Amino acid sequence: MKLFCSRREHLGRRAFLKGALATATGGLVANWGALRSTSLLADEAKKTGKRCILLWMNGGASQFETFDMKVGRKTGGPFRPISTNLAGVQICELLPKISQMMDRLTVIRSMRTSQIDHPGGIHLMHTGYSEAANVRFPEFGAVIAKYLGREQSSLPNFVKISSNGNAGAGFLGPKYHPFNLDQDGDLPAFSTSNLDPKIEQRRNDLRNFLEDSYAKDHQAETAKMHREAYEAARRLQSARQVFDIDKEWSEAAPLYGDSKFGRRCLLARKLIEAGVPFVEVGQSGYDTHADNFTGHKGLVPCMDHAWAGLLTDLEQRGLLDDTLVVWMGEIGRTPRINNRSGRDHYVRAWSTALAGGGIKGGVVYGETDADGADVKDNPVTEGDFFATIYQSLGIDPLTEHYAGSRPIPVAPFGSKVVTEAIA
Amino acid sequence: MSFDPKKAKHVGRLRFEGAWTTSVAFLDDGRKVAAANREGQIYIWRLPEEFVAEQGDKKSDEPPFGPSPVRRLDGHTNGVTQLIAAPDGKTLISSSLDHTVRIWDTSLAVEAKAEAVLDAESREREAAKARNDEPLNRPGVQVELQTECDVLEAHSDWVRALNISADGRRLISGGDDRLTVVWDLAARKEVARWQGHPLTWVVSAALSPDGEKAFVAEFSDSRGSFDRPPAQARIFDATSGSELVDLLKVQFPNVKVRDNSYGYGTTWIKFVGRGFVASEFSPDGKLLAVAQGGETGSGKVHLIDAANGKLVRTFADHQSGALDVRFSSDGEYVLSTGRDTTVQIHQASDGKEVARLGKGRGGQFKDWLHAVALSPDEQWLAAADISGLVELWRFES
Repeated sequence: MKLFCSRREHLGRRAFLKGALATATGGLVANWGALRSTSLLADEAKKTGKRCILLWMNGGASQFETFDMKVGRKTGGPFRPISTNLAGVQICELLPKISQMMDRLTVIRSMRTSQIDHPGGIHLMHTGYSEAANVRFPEFGAVIAKYLGREQSSLPNFVKISSNGNAGAGFLGPKYHPFNLDQDGDLPAFSTSNLDPKIEQRRNDLRNFLEDSYAKDHQAETAKMHREAYEAARRLQSARQVFDIDKEWSEAAPLYGDSKFGRRCLLARKLIEAGVPFVEVGQSGYDTHADNFTGHKGLVPCMDHAWAGLLTDLEQRGLLDDTLVVWMGEIGRTPRINNRSGRDHYVRAWSTALAGGGIKGGVVYGETDADGADVKDNPVTEGDFFATIYQSLGIDPLTEHYAGSRPIPVAPFGSKVVTEAIA
Repeated sequence: MSFDPKKAKHVGRLRFEGAWTTSVAFLDDGRKVAAANREGQIYIWRLPEEFVAEQGDKKSDEPPFGPSPVRRLDGHTNGVTQLIAAPDGKTLISSSLDHTVRIWDTSLAVEAKAEAVLDAESREREAAKARNDEPLNRPGVQVELQTECDVLEAHSDWVRALNISADGRRLISGGDDRLTVVWDLAARKEVARWQGHPLTWVVSAALSPDGEKAFVAEFSDSRGSFDRPPAQARIFDATSGSELVDLLKVQFPNVKVRDNSYGYGTTWIKFVGRGFVASEFSPDGKLLAVAQGGETGSGKVHLIDAANGKLVRTFADHQSGALDVRFSSDGEYVLSTGRDTTVQIHQASDGKEVARLGKGRGGQFKDWLHAVALSPDEQWLAAADISGLVELWRFES
């Protein structure tokens, strides 16, 4: 394990002054995360050409019904393990396709995180930080958009398809806010202009004229952001076809499986291929306090099919080496099976998985005890997990932003990269 | 003796600790009870003439425990979902999450013996209280050990639906592999098989008394918030597998069926709940009882006209979902149980509740009453209590 929080000189004088936008009352104002050497770091990261897809299991998928089975124990449940293409490693029978792609995955069986409820867990596992009253932490999609995105891209740099992150761009500012698509991956209504192109152009010219006039007399960051948002929306018009998967679906359906989650994964692949650096794809329904087993039996097989299809598709297109695919939810589920045939929230020992860009395949990291109640070795915190993600994408986990004068690294101070997972 | 549901007395209970008790059936004219659990264990108990409180039983308001089991049926390797006794009172049929249906001749004499511990949790509590391991080291009871006569292996996934025709001629099984199979029980051979909707599971099935009609209910849990396969509830010709009546089309003639539709789901879910997890034809074959299962607000029982699929009436109120449904032998009463830990008995003729056994959730029993069975002479009623018990009532004449 690499302890990366060792620098002493990370707060330069210029950076300090730049970040110190404290008010007279001591409150902090947003400065959109001004940071030391932003452009240099971003340029370096962009050179890696890395991208990321997050498969978000909303509600918290059960580790017992996926990657950390406890067969024969009271906590085990009715599913049976299957062998994988890794010698000696078994996972749940609900994941037959992923079982044959374990050589591409790092599975972490020793997640130990700090937020047990959904809102807190969703924030934590999208940002690496617990919610705070005075700091709006950015989701890692926004961080990746900032460091791996393209400024004048026709496509948004941070796209969410039917997903649930609740932090957005935080202090990074609206420029990096997620572009949300609905459960079918359809573009929002505002992205479609019903005006004649000539009229649309005249309107745009008029708006630019007014905004330029305003900007001469005002140094308003928000006005600039407003203009950038409009420009981004206009650029999107020229790339709308990327979001249309209907023509490809009949051919892709066998690979991804005939489910809405499968369609979303295909769209994610298209967006990544078109240059979007971060796409989050959500599947809801994992909060199985009741009927956990039939619940997972409904959800996991179609997710397995789509996930395996996505990895295969990325691989066949030569994209997998540069595309990190993260699989996780906000929490795990209890070892104890409750009297509703369900499992409740649990964060003391649960599982996540990584594959693709920058990740070593064929790794099962960490171990839980016989009943899955606690981590036996190599616990991985949320900070460690995000440090590993950033490291694999070529973003230094120590990279700092400033919320006012407070330096905030992209992965929390003290986090350790799971070096065993890094290729 | 006539069946009088108003005269039910909770006379005793059988210990079956360790895993959820999922199913129960009477054998040998009601003198024996078989029960199975989520670990795949099946035990048979011989019922006493009278349950007598053990010395040391402190809670006088609770019924006494009965004797230890006499036989264990070994074979299943995963949870048992249904236990059905054939009309001969000797043949027991079980379905399981291990993908099989097993047939047991419980009248066979067996020589093999095994030690069984069915009070493991009680012992653990006792050991913790006494702070020594002596209770854990006590010997168990000796039981006869039997294996199955036949294994029916048509399914490739969990077998959750199992039922038998009243004449004992045919058996029906259904699984999460979407396959329904009608069997000739004597020959152990398939009569018919058909596949259901590609995205659902067969969650319950029933045969008409003559075995000529089959009801099959399908359901699947959500594949995502907006990705829910439509439930199915259809009556088939049990010999050809051809569809006779689609209950949902009868109930919702104007709803356009789509493969994946949340909107459609919000319509039919009021009728189906989270699937008709239990079903049975009336003894005359004219009515079909179906019970709304899964964790739903209030699990109802619908009586359906088996000829045309029309809803006759709805009754019962199993908070959080029903789990099992049975007719009395004369068809006058419908017995149902559920996640509310009650057995409810209603008159089929008007839906009036005539008896409610057990108190609601949080009351008399710890958890769900997973299944219910009525003895052939209708003097005994047994319910599978998932807390590791078989509850027994007797109908006083």
